[in-house]
Amino acid sequence: MPSSAACKRPENLVEGLSSKDPGTRLKALRDLKNQIIGNRTKKLRYVKLGAVPLVSEMLESGSESVVLVQAIATLGSFGCGLDAGVEAIVKSGALPYLFSTLANPDEKVVEAGARSLRMIFQSKLTPKYNILEDKEMDFLFSLLNSENETVTELAASIIMHSCETTEEQKALCGSGVLDKLALLLEGSSNQRDASLDSLASVVKNNREVVSKFVGLHNGKVLSSVNGLTKDRSPRTRLLACSLLIALGRACPSQLQDIESKADLVRILVELVEEPGRAGDEAPRALGDLIEKSEEVQKLACSVNAVEKLCKFLHKGSIQAKPLAGILHALAELCSNLEDNRRLFLSLQGLPLVAEMLNHESVGVRIAACICIRNISRSVKNLSDGLTDKSIVIPLIHLFDDPSIEVQVAALGATSNILVHFTTHKSIVFECGGVKQLVKLSSSMVSELRVNAVSALRNLMFQADKMCKENIMLELTISTLASLICDPEPFVQEHALVLLRNLVNGNVDCINYVFAEDGLIINAVTRQVWNASSVGICIQGIYVLANIAAGDEFHKEEVMRILFPLPEDGRNQSILIKFLQDSSSPKLRVATLWCIINLSHLDSPGAVDRIARIRGAGITCAIKIMVNDPCLDPKVLGPSLGAIGDNWPK
Amino acid sequence: MNFCTLGRYRGGLSLKLGRSGSNSGLDLVVLPLQDTFNYIAATSIMSTSKKVITREDWEKKLNDAKIRKEDMNKLVMNFLVTEGYVEAAEKFRMESGTEPDIDLTTITDRMAVKKAVQCGNVEDAIEKVNDLNPEILDTNPQLFFHLQQQRLIELIRNGKVEEALEFAQEELAPRGEENQSFLEELERTVALLAFEDVSNCPVGELLDISQRLKTASEVNAAILTSQSHEKDPKLPSLLKMLIWAQNQLDEKATFPRIKNFSTAALEDPSI
Amino acid sequence: MPVRVVDNTQIPQVSGVNSGYTLSPCTLLSVGQAFAGTQNVSSIQKEEAWRVNVRIQGCDLDHGYLCGTMEALNVPLAETPVVTFWEGEIVDNKNYTFFTGKWDAKPDNDVRHWSKFQSFSPLQNQVEADGGKSLDLSNYPYIFMRWKELYFVNVGKDCGLTIAGFYYVCFSCSDGSINGFYYDPNSRLAICCPISSINVGDDPYSCEGTTSSHGTAQSSTCC
Repeated sequence: MPSSAACKRPENLVEGLSSKDPGTRLKALRDLKNQIIGNRTKKLRYVKLGAVPLVSEMLESGSESVVLVQAIATLGSFGCGLDAGVEAIVKSGALPYLFSTLANPDEKVVEAGARSLRMIFQSKLTPKYNILEDKEMDFLFSLLNSENETVTELAASIIMHSCETTEEQKALCGSGVLDKLALLLEGSSNQRDASLDSLASVVKNNREVVSKFVGLHNGKVLSSVNGLTKDRSPRTRLLACSLLIALGRACPSQLQDIESKADLVRILVELVEEPGRAGDEAPRALGDLIEKSEEVQKLACSVNAVEKLCKFLHKGSIQAKPLAGILHALAELCSNLEDNRRLFLSLQGLPLVAEMLNHESVGVRIAACICIRNISRSVKNLSDGLTDKSIVIPLIHLFDDPSIEVQVAALGATSNILVHFTTHKSIVFECGGVKQLVKLSSSMVSELRVNAVSALRNLMFQADKMCKENIMLELTISTLASLICDPEPFVQEHALVLLRNLVNGNVDCINYVFAEDGLIINAVTRQVWNASSVGICIQGIYVLANIAAGDEFHKEEVMRILFPLPEDGRNQSILIKFLQDSSSPKLRVATLWCIINLSHLDSPGAVDRIARIRGAGITCAIKIMVNDPCLDPKVLGPSLGAIGDNWPK
Repeated sequence: MNFCTLGRYRGGLSLKLGRSGSNSGLDLVVLPLQDTFNYIAATSIMSTSKKVITREDWEKKLNDAKIRKEDMNKLVMNFLVTEGYVEAAEKFRMESGTEPDIDLTTITDRMAVKKAVQCGNVEDAIEKVNDLNPEILDTNPQLFFHLQQQRLIELIRNGKVEEALEFAQEELAPRGEENQSFLEELERTVALLAFEDVSNCPVGELLDISQRLKTASEVNAAILTSQSHEKDPKLPSLLKMLIWAQNQLDEKATFPRIKNFSTAALEDPSI
Repeated sequence: MPVRVVDNTQIPQVSGVNSGYTLSPCTLLSVGQAFAGTQNVSSIQKEEAWRVNVRIQGCDLDHGYLCGTMEALNVPLAETPVVTFWEGEIVDNKNYTFFTGKWDAKPDNDVRHWSKFQSFSPLQNQVEADGGKSLDLSNYPYIFMRWKELYFVNVGKDCGLTIAGFYYVCFSCSDGSINGFYYDPNSRLAICCPISSINVGDDPYSCEGTTSSHGTAQSSTCC
């Protein structure tokens, strides 16, 4: 073994850092720096060996410039792209000392300090810079005003890192940050990029700041940003596009005409193939741009976005962040358009996305789940292998994921897949999926409850009797009753639909509603009378309609609920109220179905029920429906009226 | 390698640059682009039969084209600075009064790095880059890998097989784990060790001097980018544009073309 | 159970705008709804009929899209019920018009088949004049569709049945009845005969008002 390697053994090197001899110390420091730059493995090793606090110490002890510059650079490298490094730096208390180097008389020290801090502020783990404090804000502006380019870039990075809330955006804006950043747009290419990046976080989701920015210098700044989307540097093009997208998301009128959207789509899809950071980050920006707009999704597809992104997936070995970006863009491309989904599946993208469900990065796992969720929006595609075990089982494993966001996304994807007619719902039982869904339906996190109940609801959809009974065995009557009255309205609504699916088409299953002293029916009754939203009310009425499709006992129970005796103290004319609800044709239709099922002439008690319904003055409300503005109640109402004419007098 | 002569302008039309040393001189020809484009526009609305432009007309037009001398000077300076000819840049600055768009002292540092790679002192080059700006290699995994790969190549070139293997294992293998294409390149490089006669092996080109030059120019570009400077000089792209413009025009008209780009001589249109 | 069809049908107005409208939602034609009826196969030699169950599996009115499964029971020579998956195009003049424009169906085939539906007669003149592109069908109580079977779900292709053709379908929003005519240009079966007629099952109300439109992926509430 060559001798040079031996003296560079990590342990020896760390020892050298605390040597009494300044020369040995400096040499060890330089060696350390040169070993860790660009080398994650070594950074991690030295962090574990406790090198970071030793280097931080050198900053504190007021060393001479040569040592300072090396120490600062070494810390910066530890903080570059390594969370453990940033943690160690923060813990060692080096940050204030690093900030103080910016006031050093030696320009080289200042430069090194600014560079290191900039790297450290790229990490999410770095504590937030307190913009709202006056002193800190002043300091930030002194950095922005600096003669030193790197220091101004640092200021922009700090803004990007720490400006998150509307309050912070407002405070920055009030101090004139927009003007300063606009000035940087005219500086060097690095300043320009830093400025574009931080502008995006200052305007993010803030309509007020956006309108200020747009009006800056009579719109000249905006048009220079527009010009930068055609800059020679790919990174600048990307950042300019991202800023325009952020403006458009905060204030849709900013990015309205399809021409400018088409321009951005073209630029971003081209950037996807660019090597380096620009190419890595382009898919995410593309995904953000096409989100929720079918029109723009079509545009992206017309410039082969799906093909290009799939090509990258097939190439493999992509870092976590760009990979998550690619999946995000593909998910958006497949969110609305069947053609795009079909194309994606024909390019064999699905098995690759399924593999990503086990990826070590949380972001990738989430993006993969959302991608599968969006592809499974099309029933036809579900039969093309989406219900395969290779997808369902990993998804169910993710119900246990340490990240709540992953759990939520996995539930969303599973929920969609469970709708399908050929799904062997038994797979979900076999791997304990139902048990887990039930467990998650009582989670403390409301998003988890919402998605878990939604998945159970879809599992119940079109399930056979045995499957329904198995679900109820896990879920239990009392849990379902409490879900119907959950504090979260979406959980209430999903739980009612779950119940609606349970009692559909099977008289035996209706009995669950009345078991255990009518726990469930009482919960439904409460919701129909006191629903917090019309959506919940509609589902409650449909539950009653389905129960009314049962036997004589069931119908009578529904009558008892809908036509309460005066001594019950409930609104007696609730059905008329619903039939005349002008805000929701769906509620009118649901109510009609309920009455249709109650008055079905084939059952023995029909005559009596019809008399009671008439007694409540409903005939008139139904007859008026001939003039309903919506087709569905309009055509259903008269058909019931027709039956009504045949009602025994 | 030194820059030694700087040609004089010929009527503001062509510019000649040359340098001595092992590499043959590079000649560049620059034409007034604006004027060329005007020709395209003019001919495109003419009849379908090719228009003939005589040499006389052409030269007259060329002479009419106003090109600011300062702009030409800036182009020259841009080339000198980007390619790192610090002495020539300094001389040119004094002669023409054109200010370089970058601090000339940084060129010296950059050239020292470039030279170290060209001479095979890669470790030295890496340390120099890190002194210049530690961010460069920390944020450019590809460049960092190529430098380490070059280091491995140099070890193999010098017959230090054992050290080479250890270095590949220790430094390069972890990078290969992070990136599939790095792994493939690493495998190709290590393959050098499998051949006794490397000059005759399929991956022998890695040992070629051109590999050093490739790596050196990659470092050069990265340093320039970190200094907010464009990584490529403007002149070569202008030359490309000239070729493109001539080809476009050729479809519409017969005109005196430049075929030999080292002399920039106009060749009479053949009718 | 028979349900009287509404007779006060209004003839759709010519809208003048030819971009078409998304059809109004209809509870009877939503995901999960099931239908039962018979399919008649008639040719010169013989007449056969089998029972059919249809279930809507997906519905996207914005894109004029519908899909579902069709189960044919007691098919002669078949050992099990035969299930096929089909996709439907809804004629809304936004996504699809009365003219098929593919599957070997020419405009005259289209008109010939559509005119077999009584509910089509108020529209026929306009369709013959300009393809009916200017008709606003969004509030017409009948929905016209083309259903194309894509594959067999539970049997192989060699089951002796063909899905090469497609159905012209008319759905009544008021009573949920569905009628259809099969068209297969390559089949030796006479194309003019009513080949399929699917009607609502015995006890429509106990199942129709019941299934969940929220059981669909499209209305899924995922983030």
